Amino acid sequence: MIPYLLEALQCLLTLTLAPGLIGLVRLLKARLQGRRGPPAWQPYRDLAKLLDKERVVSTQASWIFHATPHLVFASTLVVSLLVPLVAAPLPFDRAGDLIVVVYLLLLGTFFLALAGLDTASPFGGMGASREMTIAALAEPTIALAIFGMGAGAGSTNLGEIVARTLAHPEATLSPGHLMAFAALFIVMLAECGRLPVDNPATHLELTMIHEAMILEYSGPPLALLEWAAHMKFFLFLSLLSNLVCPWGVAVELSPRTLALAVLALVGKLVVLAIAVTVLETRLAKLRLFRVPELLGVSFILALLAITSSFLVR
Amino acid sequence: MLLVALLACPLLAAALAVPGILTRASVARAGAALSGLAFLLSIVLAGRVLAGGVVSFGPEEFLRVDGLSAVLLLVVTGVGFVALWFGEGGARPPAAGTEGGAETGRRYHALAGLFLFTMLLAVTVNNVGVMWVAIEATTIATAFLIGLHRSKAALEASWKYILIGSVGIALAFVGTVLAYFNFVQRVGSTPYALHWTVLSRVAVLLDPDVTRLAFVFVLVGYGTKAGLAPMHTWLPDAHSEAPAPISAMMSGSLLAVALYAILRFKVVVDACLGTSFTDRMLILTALVTLAVAALLLTRQANYKRLLAYSSVEHMGLMCLGSALGAPGVIAALLHALTHAAAKSMAFLLAGEIRDRYGTASLASVRGLLRAMPWTGALFAAGILALLGLPPAGLFLSEMMLLRAGFTAGRPWVMGMVLALLVLIFPALLTHLNRMLYGEPPEGTPRGDHPRRLMPLGLNLAVLLVLGLWIPGPLARLLWRAAEIVAP
Amino acid sequence: MAPALFSRLVTLASSLVLLSGLAVLWRHSLAAYIRTFARQSFLIVLAILLIAAQERDVRLCVVAALVLVIKVVLIPRVLHRVQRHVAADFEIHPYVNTPLSLVIAGALTLMSYAVAAPVVSLADLPTRGGIPLALATVFVGLFIIISRRSALSQIIGFLILENGIALLAVLATFGVPLIVELGVFLDVLLGVLVMQVFVYRIRETFDTIDVDRMKDLRH
Repeated sequence: MIPYLLEALQCLLTLTLAPGLIGLVRLLKARLQGRRGPPAWQPYRDLAKLLDKERVVSTQASWIFHATPHLVFASTLVVSLLVPLVAAPLPFDRAGDLIVVVYLLLLGTFFLALAGLDTASPFGGMGASREMTIAALAEPTIALAIFGMGAGAGSTNLGEIVARTLAHPEATLSPGHLMAFAALFIVMLAECGRLPVDNPATHLELTMIHEAMILEYSGPPLALLEWAAHMKFFLFLSLLSNLVCPWGVAVELSPRTLALAVLALVGKLVVLAIAVTVLETRLAKLRLFRVPELLGVSFILALLAITSSFLVR
Repeated sequence: MLLVALLACPLLAAALAVPGILTRASVARAGAALSGLAFLLSIVLAGRVLAGGVVSFGPEEFLRVDGLSAVLLLVVTGVGFVALWFGEGGARPPAAGTEGGAETGRRYHALAGLFLFTMLLAVTVNNVGVMWVAIEATTIATAFLIGLHRSKAALEASWKYILIGSVGIALAFVGTVLAYFNFVQRVGSTPYALHWTVLSRVAVLLDPDVTRLAFVFVLVGYGTKAGLAPMHTWLPDAHSEAPAPISAMMSGSLLAVALYAILRFKVVVDACLGTSFTDRMLILTALVTLAVAALLLTRQANYKRLLAYSSVEHMGLMCLGSALGAPGVIAALLHALTHAAAKSMAFLLAGEIRDRYGTASLASVRGLLRAMPWTGALFAAGILALLGLPPAGLFLSEMMLLRAGFTAGRPWVMGMVLALLVLIFPALLTHLNRMLYGEPPEGTPRGDHPRRLMPLGLNLAVLLVLGLWIPGPLARLLWRAAEIVAP
Repeated sequence: MAPALFSRLVTLASSLVLLSGLAVLWRHSLAAYIRTFARQSFLIVLAILLIAAQERDVRLCVVAALVLVIKVVLIPRVLHRVQRHVAADFEIHPYVNTPLSLVIAGALTLMSYAVAAPVVSLADLPTRGGIPLALATVFVGLFIIISRRSALSQIIGFLILENGIALLAVLATFGVPLIVELGVFLDVLLGVLVMQVFVYRIRETFDTIDVDRMKDLRH
């Protein structure tokens, strides 16, 4: 009984907190740019509004177009069952480790790109090709960073990594660990469509990547896709924060430790959100042909992370 | 004390070049005189080494001259003396603005004095680190000297020289650090850890793998300064664009000093690993160097570059000699002496030819024997000596090298060397013939000044004497040096 | 300080030194190169001070002070002046493009781990984790010299190479004897001064500091 409740709690946390996180980021960004900005719970109202609107579907769309929102939403929700948000190890841990998590998220990206192509809209095709370029370049980095993080723990199982880090706190200072974190951070920026890779607030042809792929969606499917994007960002950030700084994650289960874990998670996410916001405000969006350079840097960081952990004992 | 006096001579020459102390003409003459004194002092030192074994000075023998150092001292001071004496004109000073005349500048004399001093320091100091500092200092001193003429080509040559030279020296320093690290790990930290004498004594205790790594770095690093392929790319540019006396000093002595550094490391590495590793690496490098020189020599259109590639070839031969045991080392050191004599003479005369004809291009120099009979004859003698024809000393040293190679059990290597030498022979000879015979171009002034060529008498004497027979004391000195490198 | 923590911090400092060397491969602005070199030298000062504190060695403090004065203050100032006078803002299209340069740098790092293996196994010092990284910095500096076309970038590459060697000397042997150390500093300083004079002359003669234009002497 307890395991199912725990997993349900994780699901619920993801569903409810993800839009809030995005709202917080938008609010902070607005304040940094000198505007007042929408309140932090605006994304909830946007989602509610979208659920009420009618859906308009292109005549060229096939089953992919209809299936994608559900698929993306579902895959992201499944990931929330595997990522140690408030407790580690999780009961469903044996079903999937870090590799499964990352590739489930990439599954969503894959189908989103297909859906972008599906509507025969030129914007969709353009967004799809750009997204695939970035995803392809980020893949080796993800793989290397996963191994970098897992090397220290001796396993890619997320719960084990968290447990090992809790047991050896000084491991967080090792260059391998820090460089893997830096590499994954850059990958997160690329995958979640944040600046300097992609501007989440734009609808200009020259600068859209993620927005271009979901341009044709409307109504409830759009709500699902937006929610899934928020959840992806939430999960990536929680993954990063709990892998590098796992203090606060509940090891034994009790209401007190869980409540503490939720508070710790919120705290860490706020810190990371501030970091992302500051970066977004300071950096200009990279021209598309410079994105491979940025991802090249993250690749090197991941490579160095592995060499530092593996080759020097 | 002798050692200190020897080192002080070029330093004094550099100091006298500072404006206000002497007139320009006197600076040049003082430079020549002091370098002559240095040459005499090095002969005396060589005698002392023969008699007593080792001359040293300073705590834990900071400055130390043994057989090997003595031979190198003779090379460095000999070439320096001839170059500085000739460069300022012998009996009649050359006109200003020419290759001979531009050198009478104060900056030139100060830098040339410093150059000579750093080379002498590199050869006499016992500490590996200070030797490295001295060789790096030669790079800095010569960088300005190469670019003295301020032409586009000279600028390009000096940029390549200082960049590649500094990188090479830095890699040699990595090797030095690794050697020091090896020592400290195995023996412990002592204040004189970087002295040759100390390193050689504890060589058997050093870790073999790290020693191998250190030697590779040292070979690549100092090999860059010695003009060994494939790090030789700076050499043709630098030696062809520099003023003639500087080219002479660089080709004659600086390359030998860099090889000396490699030999010193070889002694330590051999004591640790046995001779097979270093011998194999040196032979490989030598063969590549000879091949590169042989192939590129035929394509040259500029006679100063021709001489520079010839230096690469002879450095390859010297490198080969040091890998063939004691007889090979004797051959290599004899080769260093004779090559220094021949090459410095050739470069100094090339400077005269360039002044007369106005260009360094092979195609435009014709009828040398008619326009400048004495210069042409001596130049021909120099080139024939470099080709290894008897009765020049290079013939003797190359024969000794070949014999050492066969006795050391490397017939195939010697076969390849002979083939490459055969490739070089017609190339140089055809170029020489084209330069010597025929009619000089219109408007070339004719006539020569034999008195100006007087300093080269020393070179000629060395070449002829050593071509016929090696004087007893010199032979003993060479044996002494060879025993140090290949006991 | 506990040996494990000391070892971690030193390795971290060495990694950051290597990363700043890589940053030169990524950036395009010459002024950024000079600043990155200054930062890298500063990181080396920190590493030296860390070791000096752990080993209680006064000589290393002197070395750190020298590095600070010469490589963090003096040389960047000289180079900034050259860069402004020569009016070179950006690296001219390098021979190797950025993503490929980064991949090659990664390969060089792996190679330096292989090359330094005997050194690391011989060393029993707590600082030995950083030795391959210092060697990798040397190779990255060499690569920068080969692959960049601006004379100033080549000087920066040479300085990064020297930084790597200095770090290697400090990590492997806690510093070479002081007389050699002083000689090295003098040589580096003089070398840079000579090179910057040449950059001025190249600019005057060729109107650019693109070394690819100096093509008279080939073979």
